Amino acid sequence: MKKTTIALLAALSLSSSLSFADYPTKDIQGIIQWGAGGSTDTVMRSITPHVEKELGTSIILTNKTGGVGAIATKFVDAKNADGYTLLMGAENPQMYKILGLSDIDYSDMIAINVLARGTPIIVANNDAPFNNMQELIDYTKAHPGEVKFGSTGPGGLTSIVTAMLDSQVKLDYISIPYNGDGPALTALQGGAIDVMPAVLGATIEQIKAGRMKAISLVDVESSKLLPDLAPITDTLPGMKSYLPWGPFFGVFVKKGTSDEAVEKLQAAFQKAAFNSDFVDLMQKRGFTIMNISGDEANYFLEAYRSTSSWLVHDAGFSKFSPEEFGIRKP
Amino acid sequence: MDALHYFAMSWLSPELLGLTALGTFLGIYVGAIPGLSVTMAVSILISFTFAWDVNYALCLMVGVYMGGVYGGSRTAILLNIPGAPSAIATALDGYPLAKKGLAGEAIGLSTVMSVVGGFVGIIVLALAAPTVSEFAITFQPRDYMMLGILGIMLVGSLSGGSLARGIFAGALGLLIGTVGLDPMTAEERFTFGVVELWDGINPVAVMIGMFGISEALHQLHHMNKAVIKQKISRVIPKWSDIKKYMPLSLQTSFIGVIVGALPGTGGDIAALMAYDHAKRVTKNPKVPFGEGAKEGLIAPEAANNAAVGGAYIPMLTLGIPGDAVTAVFIGALFIHGLNPGPLLLIEQPHMFWFTVGNLTLANIFVLIFGLTGIKLFSKIVECPKGILIPLIFLLSIVGAYAINNAITDIWWMLAFGVFGYFMRLYGFPVGPVILGVILSSLTDENWRRAILSERGSISDLFINLFHSPLSTVLFSVIVLILFTQSPLWTRWLKRKLFHETT
Amino acid sequence: MSSQSPFIKTRKPGERIFCLLMVMGSVYLFWQSYAISGFSSFSSPGAFPLAASATMVLASCVTFLNTLKLPAAENVRFVYHCFPPIVAVIMALILIYSVVLESLGFVLSSFAFLFVSIQFLYRRSVLTTLTISLLALIVVYIIFRLIFQVVLPEGIVPEREILSSIKSLWS
Repeated sequence: MKKTTIALLAALSLSSSLSFADYPTKDIQGIIQWGAGGSTDTVMRSITPHVEKELGTSIILTNKTGGVGAIATKFVDAKNADGYTLLMGAENPQMYKILGLSDIDYSDMIAINVLARGTPIIVANNDAPFNNMQELIDYTKAHPGEVKFGSTGPGGLTSIVTAMLDSQVKLDYISIPYNGDGPALTALQGGAIDVMPAVLGATIEQIKAGRMKAISLVDVESSKLLPDLAPITDTLPGMKSYLPWGPFFGVFVKKGTSDEAVEKLQAAFQKAAFNSDFVDLMQKRGFTIMNISGDEANYFLEAYRSTSSWLVHDAGFSKFSPEEFGIRKP
Repeated sequence: MDALHYFAMSWLSPELLGLTALGTFLGIYVGAIPGLSVTMAVSILISFTFAWDVNYALCLMVGVYMGGVYGGSRTAILLNIPGAPSAIATALDGYPLAKKGLAGEAIGLSTVMSVVGGFVGIIVLALAAPTVSEFAITFQPRDYMMLGILGIMLVGSLSGGSLARGIFAGALGLLIGTVGLDPMTAEERFTFGVVELWDGINPVAVMIGMFGISEALHQLHHMNKAVIKQKISRVIPKWSDIKKYMPLSLQTSFIGVIVGALPGTGGDIAALMAYDHAKRVTKNPKVPFGEGAKEGLIAPEAANNAAVGGAYIPMLTLGIPGDAVTAVFIGALFIHGLNPGPLLLIEQPHMFWFTVGNLTLANIFVLIFGLTGIKLFSKIVECPKGILIPLIFLLSIVGAYAINNAITDIWWMLAFGVFGYFMRLYGFPVGPVILGVILSSLTDENWRRAILSERGSISDLFINLFHSPLSTVLFSVIVLILFTQSPLWTRWLKRKLFHETT
Repeated sequence: MSSQSPFIKTRKPGERIFCLLMVMGSVYLFWQSYAISGFSSFSSPGAFPLAASATMVLASCVTFLNTLKLPAAENVRFVYHCFPPIVAVIMALILIYSVVLESLGFVLSSFAFLFVSIQFLYRRSVLTTLTISLLALIVVYIIFRLIFQVVLPEGIVPEREILSSIKSLWS
């Protein structure tokens, strides 16, 4: 038993040192930044089986939560750059530097694939005394300090959308923070908060069922899923400079991973993201498929980082200025 | 008629029946092993059942869920290590029973009462789901806050000898629960600049340390004492016992359903509240609570299984998860091409009855698998200590690591194990610590949300509280318990009398 | 309720010191809670920790003062009754185990821990201990690593390579 193990070990170390031609030679570990049942988790778990088929190896998915994803990011960065540890994450790391959460963001990693992007939407409780963006603005101005906005903590989607709003129109409202958009949207239905920005996919079923109302789509054009809902730029044309903007999901590896492994992973993910099951699922959840890698992905990631960082900085809740990290102004 | 057809679907197809049985069986072991959670098992099943038909996948997952919630009681009773947070209250009286050689009877009774609780949960789900979920989402932050306070008042029940020590332990637990990045403002609290602390200290790590490790360390004092022979003559509980405890188990089942249906609270809080309820309504227990009272075993077990049906209520009617497991279920439904949400009942009415039928089936399997193999299980306690104790340490360490794949959790678990050892040594109860950890964020966050909603004014909070019937009721209950029945008060009185007479 | 003895009538050796440490710890935590956001508002992140740690300070002071009144228990020695050598040895073993767990890997360190501690506590023949440790380790490995896919620290054992080569032998 022991002898065969040793022989196996020897054979393996020999073969892996000779060439990388047969990457992957063992299971790959996929580290998901967020907990089980969250949207990042759902997206990653639904694409992984297709990728496994392409690569011919299994990917063991592990949820590693904490520090808005910083712990998972740090973990992957501490592993060997051999392509056997993937970081499966959302948009959050792009804000780490200016919020002082971590000194690593996606610009310090290699993008395997930016799978999809979400569209923000502003929704309100059914009993709220406003039905569209203009009415929301007018009502909030007429009743300062009364409208309760849901939020999901600094750096999250809600904080960035409200920062965009604040840059266009000065509103006085109460911000009530929740632990993620799930609990906040539940509170919205129960009337604990009046209005909040959220991602389209998380709200679409509730809107269709008439359990909450859509106020405005935070985009430059209407969505196919809600064709009657006016984009926010109709009311606030100044928002055009930030949009389209939205949270995204992507897969990354540590910098220094061999080109061969990166190319294989990129090809596998790209093919998997074209799978019709996956595409259907993403569209139903209101996500726009991106399926980009390489320069295209880097450009997208950089644009996201620069818009969001400066918005958050101008709104006054960043710890450090984006300038310190060479993040250019949008 | 359609409803009945879908209800019976998983009963009639041999494959579905078999998968539900397999799921329940696996679930019992997932639940029993500390660190392996039902949430984790169901997530793994998502990838595993990806290509399957949705009904097959659901049968397996529902089985794991039902079995897992029940399974936590096993290790709680046998080794004083709750397999999951929802079994914490079970350990309080279950473990003393095993120490007396009654492990078999305790497991048998907890199985039957778990199943009773499970059925109450399913019946409420089947008959009143829309009403209950509408009720559940009207809970405002202030109501959650009061629910948290109601839970914290349980410290009185868990204090054992000294109330001051109990309060100290409870407050420590609350403080441990606040460690990490504040989810509301991202402010660092007690993190001392360590990134690993941002996500806080996992309650499961605290639980394994405080209960399992500290107990195992104490066992080392009595290495020479002979192991307790377990009486395994009676596994299926006496009919008279079942009849006697049925009213209590029904009451606590209803507590379980409601707490389970509230988004953001689950089986752990339900079980603790049920324990407190049992302690309050049982005037003359045969054996005192904490020393092996059967009431203290039944109440949490009925409640945490009833919470399963409860958690499904908002999930199936509104697409809102009732707990962490149902959140994963929602993800699974999405992946299988369904749209969980308020329209699910209208677009896919069969899903509802299929799930109800499947839960019922899984609950029956809990009864079957729960009552078989007890004799074998009870033997664990008879295993020589020299082998059992190292195995407990190994299992605790692997379990702590499995929570989040982090070595840090092992460190916390060990630190709390050693600290818990000294706490026990000097008469500090460890129960309140874990109670505090569980209730901390619920109370803290909702207190702050409630205050923020009133623009920081406490007087407004008070005035508006009485505008809502629900809040008024909760507030009255708190006041009532605090001033009439609570051990906090009566014990203080007793103590005063005691001190004056001596 | 009545059969419980709610009053501790004597104190164990070290109890006073432990309670004093708790008072000091509570005061430190109170100060740390104050450092979060001071007394700024009821909804500040520091408000709840302040309330909790203030309660700890009060409760620990009461406990400490109570121990001052209690007479010491007779015939109880710290080293024998409170912290016997066996507990210290096992604590040390666990500490070593958890320190080397990451670098040595789960399989090796757990095996060593099980072997040494069972040998120390159970005191049977080496072969018996070896069998028990191996058996226990295999069961735990199968449940955690293979069924529930918890990737335990690999350390110096290239587990994934071994597993995939075993898998390739299979197919």
